[in-house]
Amino acid sequence: MQTTEISSASLRSAAQPQPPSTLARHETIAGWLFATPALIGLLTFTALPIIASLILVFLHYDLLTPPKWAGIGNITRLGSDTRMFTIYWNTLRLVIGATLLNNVLGLLLAVGVNRSMPSVLRYFLRTSIFFPVLTTTASLAVVWRFLLTQDRGVVNYLLGQIGLGPVPWLSSSNWALISAIIYDVWKSCGYLMVIYLAGLQGIPNSYYEAAQIDGANRLQLFRHITLPLISPTAFFAIVISLIGAFQIFDNVWVLTEGGPGDASRVIAMYIYEKAFKGFEMGYASAVSLTLFAILIALTLGQFYGARRWVHYE
Amino acid sequence: MSMSKRTLSRREMLRLTALATAGAAVVACSPAPAATSEGGAAAPSQDAVDIIATTSMPVNTFDNSLERAADQLAGINLEVNANGWGNGGWDGYSDTLLTRIAGGEQIDVIMIAIEGLGLLSAKNVLTPLDDFLAADSAAQETLENDVHVTLREMLQVDGKQMEYPFSWNNMVTYYNTAIFEEAGIEPSAGDWTWEDFLEVCTKVARVSGSADDRYAYSFWGSGMFGMAAWYFNNDTSPLTADWSASNLLDPKVADSLQFLADLILEHKVAPNPEGWDEGAQFLAGNLVMRTCGRWCISGLLESDFTTYDLQYQPHRAGPLKTVAGTDGWGVSTSSSSPQEAWEVVKLLSGTDASLDMVQLGGNIPALRSVAEMPEFAEYGPSNTAIFYESLDYAATVPSPTNFNIIEPILNRHYATIWNGEKSVEEALQAAHDELQPEMEKLQQG
Repeated sequence: MQTTEISSASLRSAAQPQPPSTLARHETIAGWLFATPALIGLLTFTALPIIASLILVFLHYDLLTPPKWAGIGNITRLGSDTRMFTIYWNTLRLVIGATLLNNVLGLLLAVGVNRSMPSVLRYFLRTSIFFPVLTTTASLAVVWRFLLTQDRGVVNYLLGQIGLGPVPWLSSSNWALISAIIYDVWKSCGYLMVIYLAGLQGIPNSYYEAAQIDGANRLQLFRHITLPLISPTAFFAIVISLIGAFQIFDNVWVLTEGGPGDASRVIAMYIYEKAFKGFEMGYASAVSLTLFAILIALTLGQFYGARRWVHYE
Repeated sequence: MSMSKRTLSRREMLRLTALATAGAAVVACSPAPAATSEGGAAAPSQDAVDIIATTSMPVNTFDNSLERAADQLAGINLEVNANGWGNGGWDGYSDTLLTRIAGGEQIDVIMIAIEGLGLLSAKNVLTPLDDFLAADSAAQETLENDVHVTLREMLQVDGKQMEYPFSWNNMVTYYNTAIFEEAGIEPSAGDWTWEDFLEVCTKVARVSGSADDRYAYSFWGSGMFGMAAWYFNNDTSPLTADWSASNLLDPKVADSLQFLADLILEHKVAPNPEGWDEGAQFLAGNLVMRTCGRWCISGLLESDFTTYDLQYQPHRAGPLKTVAGTDGWGVSTSSSSPQEAWEVVKLLSGTDASLDMVQLGGNIPALRSVAEMPEFAEYGPSNTAIFYESLDYAATVPSPTNFNIIEPILNRHYATIWNGEKSVEEALQAAHDELQPEMEKLQQG
């Protein structure tokens, strides 16, 4: 009976609102303070520009003179902008190529450097593969521009040594986009390798040991244990690399300047050119909103599709 | 001191956050300490006015000017910064400049060339200098008597002097004298035709796809200034004479482009300009001839490269013409200290600043007195005099107000000719179809 009384008192006490402890209050403050810089950044550099773009779509604005009302002129213009469709097609090819190759290569490299090997070699390989990620995109693109020049370029010189003709890497419409993809994959796959490596190292060894006892070979281990268990990592990697590929700007700008013609021009460059070369902020906002809509749709589609292939333990 | 027991509410937290943000904003927006002048100039005075000038030239051109400003311009702290970005040329320069001004950046003194002058004037970024000149007889006299009328008028809009001329350029042929000698070629006397030029190209080129390849010539392949060097020597231009419409369907434009395309695709004496660094290749002896203005002497001086000389561009039709473009310094309408900015304009356009530029291998000075100094000939090859001599038959580079729009259009279409993907006629038709509406937009205001 005494026990029952104590229990009831405890329950009553628990049901009443408790004054928060000093620790809890401090934690709350600390939490908000930690989040504040990110929130300020998010509001200033993401939310406000999006809202500004939504407003600018309905204006003619050249940055220096007062904006004028444009109605839906900027939106209707999108339909007749054939250059934009060409550039979206380039962007789509770049996104598919870069996302696919970055993820496949990133995963393969992660599997490779995750194998048992002397630690010196492991650190050397991981550092070497990751190193391009740390270096400025534009400066590396300048180097690649020299490497890929058709006449007297290093790559063509090496190809010539094995009897292959010079490839117009940067000057041909057929090759310029491929060159941009090659550069992006070389630059970015190290980052994805690190992400996949983290995913691989989170898989308990016991799963592999149990499967090996059951007689699974290496391919089966990879297919039935590694792939399902890194699917959340792969999902994350694909989402960020896809969005990143849509936003590629600096490497293509330096490597090919979007040429020849529009052959390697991507949508981020087009938005920039409309905004800061043509000073058509309204129309640039309209184009950027199409990109925003595409990215939202693709991301939602990926989240929906992920239900089928992403497995959480 | 007892601590309150209650939890911080969301509203209080938001209030706190707003306070922190406001505090950060106040700190961020408070005036920065006066910028230190570059180039080791004396420490700025606390009461002095900050004047910021922006330029397309390497900022070290004005290192000595900063020291002079510290000595001569009491009450002014001068800073000269670079506005260039990437390979944009004057169109990219104008875009960057306008974006900086629109972003609220302080720019008091602006360097711009004729290619961007129309745009900047249309955007009301430049203060006409006429009132300053009217009140400054020395500056007016220098402008009238020591600056060629062509250069002076290039920097006028609707009869108003928008910039004070500082330097100008034309395009001449640089050639490697050692290779000419080795090939037994006598340099042209300056009256060579395109056929003469092609003959020289075929004699000096050594292209087989190997590491020893030596190209006879390379041209920019883009940019109004570089292409006009060829168009003007065939009595044509991509725009009509009044810069109001496309002239791309003129057969002489096609003839000019076909000649250049043939150098790459048929005669194989020139590389595709895409990705090609002609400055480095000329220095390395892998390129025998190139077309450039005086500023290309700068890299040659730095590398102590002396086996080269200059000649006029080869000619095909019409009167002898050389493309020319002038730049100058002007006062920004956004400057809160226009009188001080004007003083800086004079300093940066003066004899000493011009001489600094000459000695670094930069542009041709706008001041005739400086071009006639021994230093001008000293910092250049034996035929340096042709830079200034050509002024009498200089023709202005086409520079309509929408220069920053039309130059990229032309560049995009030229590229499809150089790589052989389109015939000259196809590319020109496509370029014309894009260019003409832009010119019509310009006419409609």
